[in-house]
Amino acid sequence: MASDSSPAPFNNGPSSPDDSLSSPIGNTFSSPAADNSRRNRRRGRSTTPSAFATPPPPQSRFATSESTPTPQRSRSIPRQAAVSTPSSASEGLPSSEGGDDMDEATPTFVWGTNISVQDVKSAIHMFLKHFRDNNQSQGTEIFEEGKYMKAIHRVLEIEGEWLDVDAHDVFGYDSDLYTKMVRYPLEVLAIFDIVLMDIVSLINPLFEKHVQVRIYNLKTSTTMRSLNPSDIEKMVSLKGMIIRCSSIIPEIREAIFRCLVCGYFSDPIVVDRGRINEPTVCMKQECLARNSMTLVHNRCRFADKQIVRLQETPDEIPEGGTPHTVSLLMHDKLVDAGKPGDRVEVTGIYRAMCVRVGPTQRTVKSLFKTYIDCLHIKKTDKSRMLAEDPMEIDNGSRRMEEDVQFDEVKIHQLKELSRQPDIYDRLTKSLAPNIWELDDVKRGLLCQLFGGNALKLPSGASFRGDVNILLVGDPGTSKSQLLQYIHKLSPRGIYTSGRGSSAVGLTAYVSKDPETGETVLESGALVLSDRGICCIDEFDKMSENARSMLHEVMEQQTVSIAKAGIIASLNARTSVLACANPIGSRYNPRLSVIDNIHLPPTLLSRFDLIYLILDKADEQTDRHLAKHIVSLHFENPEIAQQDVLDIATLTAYVSYARKHIQPKLSDEAAEELTRGYVEMRRRGNFPGSTKKVITATPRQIESLIRLSEALARIRLSEWVEKHDVIEAFRLLEVAMQQSATDHSTGTIDMDLITTGVSASERMRRENLVSATRNIIMEKLQLGGPSVRLLELLDELKKQSSTSEVHLQDLRNAVATLAGEGFVVFHGDSVKRV
Amino acid sequence: MVGPPYDCLANPLGAVRLTFEKAIGSGSHPSSFDGKDWGTVDLFRHFLFDQSHLSQVPILNLATIRWIQPNTLVRFRGMIQDMLGNEFYVGAYKDGSVWRTNKYMDFSQFPIGSSPGSRVWERRLLYCVPVPGINSWAESASEVAIDGCMNWTSQQRDKRGRMDFEAMDAKDFPVSGSNFEDSPSAKRMKEDGQDYKTEAACSGTTVVSEIDKDSFPCLVKIYDSPESELKLNDVFEFVGVLTFDSEIPAEKGDHDEFCNDYCDDDLVHLPSSKVPRLHCIIHRKLAAHDFLHTSPIIEQKPHWVKDVRESLLKHLTDVLGNDGVAAHYMLLHLLSRVHSRVDNVAVGKLSLNITCLSKESVSVFGTQLSLAIKNLLPFSTCIPLTVEYLSRSSLAPKKDYQTNRLIPGVLQLAEGSHLIIDETQLETGTLNSVGVDNARLLRNLIEFQKVEYDFTYYKMEMTADVQLLILSEGKSNILPADIIMPFQPSSVGSSEVVATKALEAWRWYLATVRSLPHSIESEMQKVVEDDLVAARQTDRSIGSQDFSRWLTMGRLISSSFGETSLSLEHWQMVKELERQRRERLK
Repeated sequence: MASDSSPAPFNNGPSSPDDSLSSPIGNTFSSPAADNSRRNRRRGRSTTPSAFATPPPPQSRFATSESTPTPQRSRSIPRQAAVSTPSSASEGLPSSEGGDDMDEATPTFVWGTNISVQDVKSAIHMFLKHFRDNNQSQGTEIFEEGKYMKAIHRVLEIEGEWLDVDAHDVFGYDSDLYTKMVRYPLEVLAIFDIVLMDIVSLINPLFEKHVQVRIYNLKTSTTMRSLNPSDIEKMVSLKGMIIRCSSIIPEIREAIFRCLVCGYFSDPIVVDRGRINEPTVCMKQECLARNSMTLVHNRCRFADKQIVRLQETPDEIPEGGTPHTVSLLMHDKLVDAGKPGDRVEVTGIYRAMCVRVGPTQRTVKSLFKTYIDCLHIKKTDKSRMLAEDPMEIDNGSRRMEEDVQFDEVKIHQLKELSRQPDIYDRLTKSLAPNIWELDDVKRGLLCQLFGGNALKLPSGASFRGDVNILLVGDPGTSKSQLLQYIHKLSPRGIYTSGRGSSAVGLTAYVSKDPETGETVLESGALVLSDRGICCIDEFDKMSENARSMLHEVMEQQTVSIAKAGIIASLNARTSVLACANPIGSRYNPRLSVIDNIHLPPTLLSRFDLIYLILDKADEQTDRHLAKHIVSLHFENPEIAQQDVLDIATLTAYVSYARKHIQPKLSDEAAEELTRGYVEMRRRGNFPGSTKKVITATPRQIESLIRLSEALARIRLSEWVEKHDVIEAFRLLEVAMQQSATDHSTGTIDMDLITTGVSASERMRRENLVSATRNIIMEKLQLGGPSVRLLELLDELKKQSSTSEVHLQDLRNAVATLAGEGFVVFHGDSVKRV
Repeated sequence: MVGPPYDCLANPLGAVRLTFEKAIGSGSHPSSFDGKDWGTVDLFRHFLFDQSHLSQVPILNLATIRWIQPNTLVRFRGMIQDMLGNEFYVGAYKDGSVWRTNKYMDFSQFPIGSSPGSRVWERRLLYCVPVPGINSWAESASEVAIDGCMNWTSQQRDKRGRMDFEAMDAKDFPVSGSNFEDSPSAKRMKEDGQDYKTEAACSGTTVVSEIDKDSFPCLVKIYDSPESELKLNDVFEFVGVLTFDSEIPAEKGDHDEFCNDYCDDDLVHLPSSKVPRLHCIIHRKLAAHDFLHTSPIIEQKPHWVKDVRESLLKHLTDVLGNDGVAAHYMLLHLLSRVHSRVDNVAVGKLSLNITCLSKESVSVFGTQLSLAIKNLLPFSTCIPLTVEYLSRSSLAPKKDYQTNRLIPGVLQLAEGSHLIIDETQLETGTLNSVGVDNARLLRNLIEFQKVEYDFTYYKMEMTADVQLLILSEGKSNILPADIIMPFQPSSVGSSEVVATKALEAWRWYLATVRSLPHSIESEMQKVVEDDLVAARQTDRSIGSQDFSRWLTMGRLISSSFGETSLSLEHWQMVKELERQRRERLK
């Protein structure tokens, strides 16, 4: 016994009597040594031929173990994950549930069940040795090691302490084993550990660490709310948020006592059923003093333990409820794996523990405290949709834990949904269903949610995939509600109001850390909404300075900072959704968009879609509104909105599409795109008109590509089809027709957006200038007396009866002439020089 | 049916036990009772409602806790303030060869051996408090009800209680004790059983002294009811077994780290000496009706409703200094409630902002108004909106993870509460971040009827249904109410004493009319739609909010006459009222 308790150095050869694979579960199965060795032999026979890659097991092992029976709980390998230690198992068990009386059970069956230990053992063994990922080709199968054998080798190399086992793999390989594992986790996991240690010691007999199995990714995950007494002692998987972590609690595993009389040190005493039995008599034959043993703290073995409180995530809480919480018990490496505020997915065993009336009393209340013995913890993402996004160009930093899985059922559902012919319309309807009409705006917003493909050319040029949208409209047209809705839906996003945002608040700023005095970079709204949507309300009320910061963000998608010794370029791959009120709060249709919104054209051209949401005095719309509100008040509102996807499905659909669908342009679509673009450009040339109106710019074709890609994504299609392109053109045109209509010619005029002045307006001004010049040439002598502007105006009106001339226009024209040095312009009088 | 062989009032556990034994006797296995009832609820329902013994069940409150015995049937009326999750307990277990149950008990009366096959069941823990802002008449209503039977109960109590306890002792603890191997514990249990009475007697005195005078919380344990039935902030009446834990004396200093570790025991902070436990057998949701003293003859005579309406309107006009228009709006305001929700829109709310009140006039009219409202509605609260108040107070409930409790905020109000916000005292000043947050909360409440509860790591929106009345000098910009009503009193409000009978009629009227269903005929719908379209055609500034307001008013006006569908006459009244109000706004 003494040699057993001493650590590794003895364990230096294959023939060492020390048995490093002694069962960590001790006598849970109370297998007599003979039985144990019989099992070993059996396993040896069955597995050795198949395990090519593993080093042949040392023959002497079996001889040894046959001759020297494996000492029971000899080394007491610190299997601290209390799950499988019989001691803690019985401690936590409700006395009624049984399960702790294994000593009397037949050795080959798990107590109280018909599960044969040998069967489970061999099943696990087969699984670990032979499981291969499905996608490995059949031909190479026999020559390659199984997935978990590789993993075990890796664990050995890095001297890890655990092996992660995907429960899906277990299910795929042996669904029966999976069922047993979930139903009787305590027993099956203990066997799992034994088998694993067997394998480990076959590969490297010198490996002295204890490797544990950690199961994760169960087939079904329960909600905290649905945990009920029938789940006790079963393996469960839960999602939640950590709200509180206790400090680390040292838990005693092995105690050593010393005799106060003779100084004799006792053998290590292992925790048995949650308590240490203090020896009452000194073991030393010569001493045998009574009640003389005292605990030697610094020779005891302790393990880390931590109690973590997990709370339901907000989306699982039903209406009118408060979140439920559950305690988690973390051991060893899992301690401090999560911090308060983290969203995690936990796999563990649901346990119940009797509550003692008092700490010293053995009587228990009829109550149980429940907790989860944690096996595996996985941090999940914070946001609803995936923040990890296919728009990501450099996918080097993809983190595993953020990889939210869609299970097959869900994927199937989503695909089924996508096959519906009216999916586009349904999604449109489902977007902010309480805002009626504005269908085209919603379609645009849908495109923004789905997004296009970002592209990075080898040359370094990059094209953004994010669609930027600007909504301009009259007050009370539910722009803000749309914004709020998108903000709620978007993967990651910041909602700011233009009035309250400064340039640095939007981008990034440098500040001094109050404690260290170092300069640190603090991210602003746009950087924080990287790969999301940044919603900016009241865009028009934003300061000039702040707006100018958006130029870089909206095309290059970076934020560059050069301040206080920090020169940095931060990613801000964000879609911008902005909304603005027209100048003078109500849209003046006689003015151009630029005049109405008063935004710099450079910024305006960076929006893919600019929607004008105008409150037209239209009886039809009014009636619609009236009907809507009357039905809201008097009818059952549920009837009004059938056939609408709920927000959860919608987000799942969007995130699935963003993650998995990377549409490419089909040849046909590309052709259509070229044709449409040429058509758009040509439309500016009126037959028989000399003036040229630019109707489309290269920026527009980029927008069109993004939009058609987003439209393909909506259908979960890998190819951009012709009709996507046509719809994209339609969307652009709908937006443009509203925003870029030149009100004097009625054609689409991109100049209006890019310079703020339409081509025809420019032409009119030129005409006016030349007409004025002619009049001045006629009427005024060089150096002669000056003329009042009003007189000039009269003259002009006489000459050109067709077009109306305003004093302001004339003033501008004269100013232009003055700039040429043709006249001198003073107050109201004009003098030719 | 012959009278039951047990007293449901004094010994409800006996009844529970009998039904359990009966159910077992009829051959059912306890496992079939997982999450189910075996007839107890039916028995008690029959006893309480069919035989109308409900009024004899004493109501648990500060006054009655002094004399109510543990393990008797009590009632508790309160709002669910927090939910403490589920609790697992050994529901049924085998004692020798006999099945026993622990349902509706804190402790098992018998040591639970390691008998296999005992069933673990769960129950929900609800932390309930008296309804915030409950007015004295509503509170006393519940007391009055039991006054009549008090004598009877107190007479019977001693005798019966003793008899029952003795009976129980004799029955439950076989004298021989041969069934138990560890007799010491059995003995202790027995002693405990006998101790109940003395303990309760002494706890009765100690308990009260420790309890905060304002709040009398109660920890209610709910059995076998679907989760959706009980929601946060709902007002319920719980009928069940009152228990005191016998661990009261032993508890001090017991919570070593082992216990604290695992449980983070929520209940540690709520020792049973401060918070009584109630094992709920039957619960029912309370409406405003249930707080009325007497339910007057429910004769739906339209003219009677009209009479009450007239007299109430007159009363309100008096209170509002002869301002008839304001009184009309006030009546509609008092009748409003959120009857449906479509996404963010709470349909049916009608918050009222009475403007043109100065600091001086508010002391006259404001106090009278709040007094009048206190007398009319069961729950009402008043917030003085000052910079300091905004910056200091915690309006939203907040989760404290240390104690794992939801700390109540001012805005955690029961459905149908009335809230007066007095903005006249607001002066210029700087708000700190708390103040800004509080202002936002109030705004959200008034706009969406939702309150954000602070869970530290995230906020959770809870729906509310609160009538908001804002008193301000000018139009309140912090709190955009549905209706802005410039107040034009022509006389100082009279403070005449109102007859109790009239008050009762008004309360009844408000409670009844509020819950009336409402619909609209298709022709009327057409008329309304045409009117709305026409209004919008003439004035573009009229938006969906105005439409909503008119429709809500239309609904409320016709309900106020006791009618269930909108008529043209009432629709015209809405338009007239709005016209008068617009006149004033100019």
